[in-house]
Amino acid sequence: MSDLVLSQPAPLAIPRGNSKTGLRIVQTVCIFIIALVMISPLFMLLIASLKDDRFRILADMGSFRAFWVSEPTLSNYREIANFSGELAYGRYLVNSLVILVVTVVSGLIINSMAGFVLAWGTLRGKAILLALVVALYVIPQESIIMPLVVMMSRAGLTDTFAVQILPWVASPLYVFLFYQFFAQLPKELYEAAEMDGASAFRIYRSIYMPLSLPALATVSILMGIESWNQYLWPTLVTQTDYARPISVAIATFFGQDSIYWDRAMAASVLMMIPVLILYLAFQRWFVSSFVGSAVKG
Amino acid sequence: MTTYLGNRLLSSLFASSALLWSAGFAEAKSVIHVMHQGDPGWVKAYGDVAKRFEEANPDIDVEMIYAPHDAYNEKFSAAVMAKQLPDVMELDAPFLANYVWSGYLQPIKPLVDKDVLDDMTGSNIAQGTYPIDKDLYAIGLTDSSVVLYGNKKYLEAIGARIPKSVDDAWTREEFEGYLEKLSKLEGVKWPIDTFRGYGIKTEWITYAYGPLLESAGCDLIDRKAWKASGTLDSEACVKALTMMQTWVKNGWVVPTSSGTNQFYAEGQPAALAMGGHWFYAEAAAAMKDNIVVIPLPKIGNKGVSPNGTWIWGISASSENPEAAGKFLSFLLKDKDYRDYAKTQSAYPGLKSFAAESPLYAEGGPLAVAFEQASKTAVARPPHPAYPTITSAFMQAVDKIFNGGDAQEALTAAAKKIDQDIEDNAGYPPFDEQQ
Repeated sequence: MSDLVLSQPAPLAIPRGNSKTGLRIVQTVCIFIIALVMISPLFMLLIASLKDDRFRILADMGSFRAFWVSEPTLSNYREIANFSGELAYGRYLVNSLVILVVTVVSGLIINSMAGFVLAWGTLRGKAILLALVVALYVIPQESIIMPLVVMMSRAGLTDTFAVQILPWVASPLYVFLFYQFFAQLPKELYEAAEMDGASAFRIYRSIYMPLSLPALATVSILMGIESWNQYLWPTLVTQTDYARPISVAIATFFGQDSIYWDRAMAASVLMMIPVLILYLAFQRWFVSSFVGSAVKG
Repeated sequence: MTTYLGNRLLSSLFASSALLWSAGFAEAKSVIHVMHQGDPGWVKAYGDVAKRFEEANPDIDVEMIYAPHDAYNEKFSAAVMAKQLPDVMELDAPFLANYVWSGYLQPIKPLVDKDVLDDMTGSNIAQGTYPIDKDLYAIGLTDSSVVLYGNKKYLEAIGARIPKSVDDAWTREEFEGYLEKLSKLEGVKWPIDTFRGYGIKTEWITYAYGPLLESAGCDLIDRKAWKASGTLDSEACVKALTMMQTWVKNGWVVPTSSGTNQFYAEGQPAALAMGGHWFYAEAAAAMKDNIVVIPLPKIGNKGVSPNGTWIWGISASSENPEAAGKFLSFLLKDKDYRDYAKTQSAYPGLKSFAAESPLYAEGGPLAVAFEQASKTAVARPPHPAYPTITSAFMQAVDKIFNGGDAQEALTAAAKKIDQDIEDNAGYPPFDEQQ
């Protein structure tokens, strides 16, 4: 019996500190690999934008040469800046920025107001209205796009900035997002302000909005990205350079018989910059909003 | 003082009258809208032509409307729904029958200069003609074709015969024999790239694979009875597509996931490429002298090649058809536009343009491609159901290439096409054509 006890293998003794270090190394390596996978297409895009031969770019794709440029040049950036000698791409970039800023700012106001009313307003049939808003969310944009084109054309808004902003300012998703955020704030906050004689608008503006930075940041980023990446809608409703955004302008590089990868890559890099800035500026609140939503369910 | 005021009143009156007159003059100008697609080079070329046209015709303003190539059909549909069709528009040739049948286009013969009309190649006329009234509804400077591009070194290594003209194109036995030999040759990963990488969103499969099947005695639809069942799912079509499926199964064809650059990518892994005339520029830039241009193989008794490209039409709703026709004539004769087209190795659709294009002239590297236009080119079915025909056919080919049963996939496609024709009451008067 004692033999038997003695013959049992001794438990594998791994020092605790080593185990933690090992785990950390594995974690770091995994994170590094994931980051590499996420970043590599962007890096490839940047590298390709510095090559001046579109055929070379295509030939390099699929090999490690796609991640290397022996003679970097800014000629693609110069070419898109000077295309037609009218700085057209600068214009498209400005157009996109104007559309983004107006859409996001007005979208924040309208969606947050609607969300606030649905959360705290005394409106009759609020629950039905909320259910309708949520139901609207499941209707894909593509299914209403043609009737919307006709509506906008009859309103005489074709080829304007307004046509690219108005239809997308109010969104069921963002109304619901604000509603959910406001509804989670304590009821006492509203009641106390009401007892102090504050109007509903005052409560919204002075109490709830300052507390909603994470929601505002999330909606700003999501709306901003959505507006920035709009392609089909502006393609259908813009005719000239006047209000054409950069997303449609980049499509010119993808022609019938040839694709100008060099200039398309450079324009894509330029197109990414404002969205990156927007994300970096708001990422702290954006992340906290998502973490908050996850914790609160 | 009174005189001073009177003078001021008079001059104001004169100024306002002058303003009103000039406004009236400005209103007298006709405006034509021109919708087109194209890459930045073409966009600039069209824009420059419009400027020159306006200088030559001060009474006409041209407004260019750009639509991205990939979203052109959506843009066109939006313009139709909003009743905002432009005066002049570019359209993909095989869609012409659908547009004419739908009443979107008008005949262009009375509107375009006669010398330009007389300059059209047979293939160009075919792509712009509506089969019901045999009238011309569209015209282009260019046309298109597909050829085989060969890696000279690889072909020499297997002792392949290089055809010099369309008449001595490879037979099926030769072609498949070379594919097999190439599959065993060192350095060759895939014997042929059929550009599956273009996917089924583009016209490629119908445009490029259709002629191979037609060469084997198959067709997408019976062009007299306008019925797909019995033709697209016939034994000849099943056999032809099973043949192509075997190439894929044997690993001879570059897969969709490998993109469209395997012919000239590092190591040149694909020995042959069945590509459009436009592919020459990018392939020759990378391969230099190591490239040969070969006519499409004769799979059955006859050689068949595709044709058709983006051409120009005048909308039926145009309020200024004369000005639109004037613009089209101006565009097609414009020297700078032609010069730009030459730099893009554009395939000639006008005889005078062919004479100016050394690439396609006798002895030129793409002479064989141009020879195909007169000897083997067959247009895609000129029928209003074409959008359904091409979509159903492409889906069937995709299924078959991914291992599906050829008979089953083609029968399903034929039924879908016939259903569309039936749903539209046979697209009269196409139903009376037999």
